[in-house]
Amino acid sequence: MSGIQAATRLHLTKKNMTFGVPLQIVGLIAVISALIALIIWRAGGLPGSEEWIDGARSNGGMAFGLLGFLVYMGVQSIATTFPFALTLGSTRKAFVGGTLVWAAVTSAYLAVIYAVLLLVELATDHWFAGIYIFDVYYLGTGDLLILLPTVFLGSLGALTIGALFGASWARFGNRGPVFLGAGLAIGLLGLLALVLPLITGSVLDGFRLWWLAVAAVVIIAVSAVMTLLLLRSAVVR
Amino acid sequence: MTQAIELQSVTRRFRNDNALEDVTLTVPDGAICGLLGRNGAGKTTVMSLISGQDRPTTGQVLVDGEDPFENEAVLSRISFVRDNQRYPDDYFLHHVLSIAPEFAPSWDGELAAELVEGFRLPRKPAIRKFSRGQLSAVAIVLGLASRAPVTLLDEPYLGLDATARGLFHDLLLRDLGRHPRTLLLSTHLIDESDSLFDHVVLMDRGRVVLRAEAEEARRLAMCVSGVADAVQAFCADYPVLRSHSIGGLRTSTITGRLDDDARSRAATLGVQLKGASLQDLAVAYGSGDSLQDSSKEGISA
Repeated sequence: MSGIQAATRLHLTKKNMTFGVPLQIVGLIAVISALIALIIWRAGGLPGSEEWIDGARSNGGMAFGLLGFLVYMGVQSIATTFPFALTLGSTRKAFVGGTLVWAAVTSAYLAVIYAVLLLVELATDHWFAGIYIFDVYYLGTGDLLILLPTVFLGSLGALTIGALFGASWARFGNRGPVFLGAGLAIGLLGLLALVLPLITGSVLDGFRLWWLAVAAVVIIAVSAVMTLLLLRSAVVR
Repeated sequence: MTQAIELQSVTRRFRNDNALEDVTLTVPDGAICGLLGRNGAGKTTVMSLISGQDRPTTGQVLVDGEDPFENEAVLSRISFVRDNQRYPDDYFLHHVLSIAPEFAPSWDGELAAELVEGFRLPRKPAIRKFSRGQLSAVAIVLGLASRAPVTLLDEPYLGLDATARGLFHDLLLRDLGRHPRTLLLSTHLIDESDSLFDHVVLMDRGRVVLRAEAEEARRLAMCVSGVADAVQAFCADYPVLRSHSIGGLRTSTITGRLDDDARSRAATLGVQLKGASLQDLAVAYGSGDSLQDSSKEGISA
């Protein structure tokens, strides 16, 4: 078995963490979304009306509710697993490769779960009650071709960014995430200061969704490379 | 004899501290080598370098003639579980037992099961809730069942009860008999492991102060005890590694062979004489007195 395969399996041994907990969080967000819809209905909202649909489709719960957990999963995929991976005999390179494969598997799993539940939502005319959970603006308004890459790349981005923070901790201890977070914040603000004046109306008019996909791929690749660079010199103590 | 492990002039510096300083040592293929020394002597750092978990600041580390760092082929032949090993969050024993074979080509599931049973390792609580002794037992399971050609055991006795230590000894000897491998074992319970070792490396403050075959090491020094003046008189012609006195009585560990001349002189002066055990040597070199005399550094038999 290759080192990358073995490292992937190392992450997948905790099946509940990879496959069970995200599903539970999705279920919890769905219940909360349904309860909010119920409250709005009780407050006078009219399910099926144009206003109702527009408001319901702005529900960002399913798009953002998992992000925190995914970042945590990314952090622990490195911070607490890296020492054990080296103990088992993994190389740093194989470990980072296996972690990336595991993150891709997890992201694909979530994308499929979201897609199936979107299809169920559409087939049941929004759960028979005008409840919009997956058919929302952030996830492509019912378009599978937008939902699938959005969930996959969004999840993979969150996991790899979390892994990068975990690697910074493994390399520099408590100072790592602090300096990395501060560095990223300063870098982003500097980039905005440089780029904002260049964003004119014509640029915004020409905006395409695939730009976000390209940005996500770049973020994922940069995070993975930086994770490897940090772990190459990290010492297990 | 081919060398399984070689460290050549290895220094490992952490910021301003030298964890290891100019360490040179070899462990022959198939040897059972005791890595002895006080806390902070550098034992775990040495093992960490051998297992590719760390890189030397200067010098060279070789396992089977190759640099282990990022070397998948070499790492698959090494087993090293550190004494304060961290496990992934919410990891249970069954997680460890299911993933270890993926990395260890020679993993023996039956031996692992026998060890788990013998140590009475619980399957239910997460590993982070294990006691110190149970954590040591998990490390032993990983170390022995992996059947790695180069096995590094870091303080395997920590927290183990007497029964568990006996079980570890028995199964270690049985398994080494059936599947010989190179074993490097660090421990503070030297007397309990003394009979296992055919080689010893003694470290103090990041330096190797003694490396020798175990039999030769035992002949390098002796312990003399008795009335202080008589002991001092006996020791006059020997380099003293360590001395301590209680009232008018004194015990000294000295470098020198326990031969007929020494026995005859001891009888004349009325002092007790015995060969130093590995434990005596470790205590003597760890006391710091011996390092004042640089001629004793890096004694190699």
